[in-house]
Amino acid sequence: MSTDNLLGLAEDLVSSGRKKGASQVEVSIREGTEFSVDVREGEIEKLAEAGSKSLSLRVFVEGKIARASSSDLSKETLNRLIENAIERAKLSSADPLAGLPEKGTLSVDAGSLKIYDPAVVDMPPEKKIAAARATEAICLSDKRVKKSFGAGFRTTVGAVYLANSNGFGSSYPRTSCSCSVYLQSGEGSNLFDEGWGDESHSVADLESPEEIARKAIDRVARLIGGRKVETQNVPVVLEPPMTASLLSFFNTCISGNNVYLKQSFLAGKVGEKVGNDLVTIVDDGLLPGGIGTKPFDGEGVPTRKTVVMERGVLKSYLMDTYAAKKLGMKSTGNASGANNLYLAAGTPTPEEIIKSVEKGLYLTGTIGFGLVPTTGDISRGAFGLWIEKGEIAFPVSEITISGNLGQILHGIQMVGNDLKFKDSITGPTIKIAEMTVGGK
Amino acid sequence: MLDVNRRDFLRTGGIGLAATLTSGFWFDLLARGSAPLPSATFFEERFGVTREQMKKILDLALSKGGDFSELFFEYKINNSVRMEEDIIKDSSENISLGVGIRVLKGAQTGYGYTDDLSFERMKQTALTAATIAGGNAGFAVADLTQENSPLHVYDIKSPMQDLLLSAKVDLVKQAYAAAQSHDRRITKVQAGLVDEIQYVTIANSEGLLISDARPQTIMFVSATAEENGVRNTGFKTAGGRVGADFFLTKETPGSVGTKASADAVTLLSAIDPPAGEQPVVLGSLQSGVMVHEAVGHPLEADANRKKTSIMWDKLGQQVANPIVTIYDDPTIPNARGSLNMDDEGIVPSKTVLIEKGKLVGFLQDRLSAKLMKMEPNGHGRRASYRDVPIPRMANTVLGPGEASVEDILRSVKKGFFAETYQGGQVSDSGKFTFSVNMGYLIEDGKLTRPVKNATLIGTNVQILNEVEMIGNDTRFFLGTCGKDGQSAPVSAGTPTLKLRQMTVGGRS
Repeated sequence: MSTDNLLGLAEDLVSSGRKKGASQVEVSIREGTEFSVDVREGEIEKLAEAGSKSLSLRVFVEGKIARASSSDLSKETLNRLIENAIERAKLSSADPLAGLPEKGTLSVDAGSLKIYDPAVVDMPPEKKIAAARATEAICLSDKRVKKSFGAGFRTTVGAVYLANSNGFGSSYPRTSCSCSVYLQSGEGSNLFDEGWGDESHSVADLESPEEIARKAIDRVARLIGGRKVETQNVPVVLEPPMTASLLSFFNTCISGNNVYLKQSFLAGKVGEKVGNDLVTIVDDGLLPGGIGTKPFDGEGVPTRKTVVMERGVLKSYLMDTYAAKKLGMKSTGNASGANNLYLAAGTPTPEEIIKSVEKGLYLTGTIGFGLVPTTGDISRGAFGLWIEKGEIAFPVSEITISGNLGQILHGIQMVGNDLKFKDSITGPTIKIAEMTVGGK
Repeated sequence: MLDVNRRDFLRTGGIGLAATLTSGFWFDLLARGSAPLPSATFFEERFGVTREQMKKILDLALSKGGDFSELFFEYKINNSVRMEEDIIKDSSENISLGVGIRVLKGAQTGYGYTDDLSFERMKQTALTAATIAGGNAGFAVADLTQENSPLHVYDIKSPMQDLLLSAKVDLVKQAYAAAQSHDRRITKVQAGLVDEIQYVTIANSEGLLISDARPQTIMFVSATAEENGVRNTGFKTAGGRVGADFFLTKETPGSVGTKASADAVTLLSAIDPPAGEQPVVLGSLQSGVMVHEAVGHPLEADANRKKTSIMWDKLGQQVANPIVTIYDDPTIPNARGSLNMDDEGIVPSKTVLIEKGKLVGFLQDRLSAKLMKMEPNGHGRRASYRDVPIPRMANTVLGPGEASVEDILRSVKKGFFAETYQGGQVSDSGKFTFSVNMGYLIEDGKLTRPVKNATLIGTNVQILNEVEMIGNDTRFFLGTCGKDGQSAPVSAGTPTLKLRQMTVGGRS
């Protein structure tokens, strides 16, 4: 990898932009090599390998901004792109709050963050193919699995370079590997699709084919025979991936941009009690090995640990430099979105949570888009297991769940102890007092 | 920050834009002044890739025993302008350049791509893609013969790329102002305009050499209304493979802005939907989502070839009420999903999927058609040179019926009317949802109270048989379809439809 060259290219473009009349310039470059293999019914279906680069830039001309990006990094194209951007910026409107962040000091060395593993670089293609094959083979050997959509193994080896005219210039390398499988179960026209996958920065931390297959099989098999239930209001238990999905909607609602545009029901609520005492939500950009871990965000602001909600009290939004200025706050190092956002673990086990439900839904999957940040309203198609007298009774499908995130934050009655830092947005099993299940 | 009266900001010059731009530096020099016509020599003139080089790379790609090789060259320029909080917040210009090299060996695909069009780098990439075959060369590459698509389905009379930025800014300002001034309860507006031109050249080992230049334009407005602490947001988009005159003749920026605001205001008084099974009428405005999810996706050939689609064994069978005919037509002039050629160089044609309730066809790409021993029909599409082509929809249509909208509504005593959507999603098992942004209660045959944020859920096999009445009032929605991580611009058209019964997700 030509690390110095690409940072040098970014820095050269920054100074060239300054010379051409921009008051501030920021250039970032991403480069990466990706490898992916898809295996279906034991055969390699697709093998892809490629290296690529992309550059994006922002220029400010007296508080007026323009952006550009390109996968063509030729000198000629980049020169033209930055000249065009400077001319376009002049046609924008001056915004006194627009501008680059002040130069910050990186608090950590990228090497200590555990986001780069040489074993990913060195992993031979045959091993990747074998892992995908093994994962699928285990799944297909289970009689409850009707079909495989295929298993895949993917690696990326890349780096991010960022330079700006406030003197920032840094880069970090990143590796990732992932393995996944997707399955179908059921009979006749009552079919179910489910799967499982795992992603990690390091080969050693990736779940084994056995573990991924076991989870995928369990997830698809438990839905077999799913049916509708009557429309009713019941407690809903979210298994960890569903808690993560809820948090991902929460993330939209605490994004600085949505907040200053008042497109979030949480706008203007910092300092208020918006959830119950069990709810503590944190974003940690420096979590070692975290999928969203990075030393600095997309504007070169050092990442950090931000307590978003503490015992139900909203403490902070996740902001980039501009949104922070709009809100009279400071950037939280979230120009690239949430880094590692999680709901802090509680004490009960998932089993204890299920036991506490007399009648309700154990939610395992959703489908659809019904999420409205302006109001917090949630309405989605749902799949899961019905709970009766504290036990899993039967699978349910083709139902809907509806609720409101504002009410849900107050209605979280139990938070489980099963928090795992596997995705950039994650949480443990939780129990919500009541949501509407739509069915017959 | 901008202390001007919101409704008057345009007149008072709050935006502060001097329309003094006179030269064409805004767009790529190559596009300037030339209508974007397909050109087989585009990549040679611009990037020095000759026909001889293409043939050598195709040959190298087959050197390990593949039976088909293909080059997909792409050069795309995307421009956008965005307005927010009464000012032009930013603009962007995005360039995507590269080549994807594909090798097929039976059902197997080898793929590589590069953003570097040097001969050396392309040769390396071809060798990477070739490894899928893992043997010795068997097939020879035919001489490349340039072909032209007989189709001309894009409006290229007044290309957006030729429009000065100041003119685009004006269009956005008009949309923004209309949204802002529509009602005193409108508190936030965002408006934007995105235009794109994609140059594609495809060469393959069968000797095909074909090119296309595809325009794509979309204007969007979102408006938030607020009253007594209640906030709601309405959206509206307009565009297609159109030129600048679209905004003068077909849909003015003002009407786009007004419609977004009208929805936001209506939603202020909207109630939560009644949950449970009930008769549902899908309005014609955006219900194309239904044919797209419930019929289009399950009839894409790849999922049927792999037998994961619920429809794979139903070809020739009656799967819907005989009043239902559904087709996909990539040749509708200026429509968002239209194509002169698909991303495998095949000239597309209108493809009937369901005729009078009977399943008669699938959406095919080259690979699936070959493996299923059927004819390709020009539905192989890809998001970019980084992606392999897969069967996709273009413009999916449910043919009109004879009922008037009034007759359809009059037939419902109590039910739900769906008007605008956030989107839809379907799994191969045929289970889908539509997320309705705004709808109405139907009471005694009339639309009464507005309803917000409802989810409709069902399976495609069931919904096709629930279609009871079809209106005579087809309209199209503009969408971006996601599949296997690839996005594709599409549209879908439906008349007003009545479904006997469907599960509505609401709150009680």
